[in-house]
Amino acid sequence: MTEDLKIKHFLERIEKIEEAMITVATGDFSVRLETPIEDEFTTVEAGINLMIEDLSEELRQREEREKELREKLSTIEKQKQTILQQQEDLMELSSPVIKIWDDVLVLPVIGTVDSRRAQIMMENLLQSIVDSGCTMAILDITGVLRIDTQVANHLIKTVEAVRLLGGECIISGISPAIAQTIVQLGIDLSAIKTKANLQEGMRYAFQRSNLQVRSTSSDNDNLDEI
Amino acid sequence: MKYDPDEIKVSRRIPIIKYGEFLIVSIQVDMHDRLAMELQTQILEEITKTNARGVLIDISVLDTVDSYIGRMLYGMATMASIMDAAVVIVGMQPAVAITLVELGLDMPGVLTALNIEQASRMLRKKMKNKK
Amino acid sequence: MPQLNQIQELVRLDILKIESEFDIVRARQAVRFYAKEMKMGVVDQTRITTAVSELFRNMYQYAGGGEIIIERGDFQARPALVVTCIDHGPGIEDIELAMSDGYTSGSGMGYGLPGAKRLVDDFFIESRVNGGTTIRIVKWA
Repeated sequence: MTEDLKIKHFLERIEKIEEAMITVATGDFSVRLETPIEDEFTTVEAGINLMIEDLSEELRQREEREKELREKLSTIEKQKQTILQQQEDLMELSSPVIKIWDDVLVLPVIGTVDSRRAQIMMENLLQSIVDSGCTMAILDITGVLRIDTQVANHLIKTVEAVRLLGGECIISGISPAIAQTIVQLGIDLSAIKTKANLQEGMRYAFQRSNLQVRSTSSDNDNLDEI
Repeated sequence: MKYDPDEIKVSRRIPIIKYGEFLIVSIQVDMHDRLAMELQTQILEEITKTNARGVLIDISVLDTVDSYIGRMLYGMATMASIMDAAVVIVGMQPAVAITLVELGLDMPGVLTALNIEQASRMLRKKMKNKK
Repeated sequence: MPQLNQIQELVRLDILKIESEFDIVRARQAVRFYAKEMKMGVVDQTRITTAVSELFRNMYQYAGGGEIIIERGDFQARPALVVTCIDHGPGIEDIELAMSDGYTSGSGMGYGLPGAKRLVDDFFIESRVNGGTTIRIVKWA
């Protein structure tokens, strides 16, 4: 080959290499350089082809890893939702409203009460009152170890809301510890009827319904019962 | 005068029904201010006309009671009691009750009941005690 | 509870005008609609609907009307309803006083602002005498 032809040929090869680089830069790794003849460019072209293959493989692996991570993230999100839902369910289950007599509902509260739980309890109780038509509700907090200002305010709110609905709500089972806390926090419970324990609460509820509990005499044929 | 559906009088919008010696007002629509005022007047007129001793205001359909409506209900109870009739607010929705408490709207002395049956029972007992 | 400034973008849901007293009811029904749509709990729906009812009524009563912008914002998949009330009325002279419990004005009931504030998660107010009032409230679903 003459010198001129050689140079022209080399320029063409260089052009092809440039084109290939530009194509790769756009993200297209499918391009490969063809080596027409064995010469000084052959090694470079082979090297570039290998580089493109390596890059392509790297990219593929990276995309696969990212896909894995996304899927893991999605799974974790779903698990988080499940946990949140279970927490909600737990909160609802842990404070069931029980109809203990014709017109009396009891809401026994056990364990730690936070603002959110107090809110749910309030809504449950109000809805139960509306659904059942019971006008008397006893909120028993015997099983509650401690309360803070927020929770105390929720309890007060509950009593007031029940009143607006047309019912009456009393709180029973205030422990000495909680009584102390309430006074220390400066919370005013004067507008709320409280009873020391659930038994007293029930006695009050029956009184309000004009009911009495009497013992039956074994040698009396006329049994006086409710 | 152009036809304006919002201008329809209370009597066609909110029925006031005689129920024995009581009146039942069933509020089914979201009242705007003027309607609320007209309702108040209408109820007082009906009390005079029928000599009703009690008015049951059924708000079981109302999903929003703001301070304005709240004050109207409270005002109605006060005015009616001056005319020797007792007002009972019936069927408040739990969400409304919670919101009114949080709003801080106080309605001291206003009678409330879960439903019509309990409201009538309450009123009859009250009237019996008065006699 | 997330903060308003954690929301990247507010999506406009509706713009309403308060020009008559009928608009108060219509506008608060619209707010309830959007609150329900973003799956807000029933009690929270009632809270924000009642809160805006107070604000809309103020706008109508003291400023002769105004504009309401209802927007939605999201933070970590949790949506919030943002309602902005803008009026060009006489403004509130003493905001601190208006926001304190027990304050009454003209009609004897005050602006009802402390009550409305208790019902929502975030409450922003700007007012200038004779320069109008802007109130923005946020409630997370």
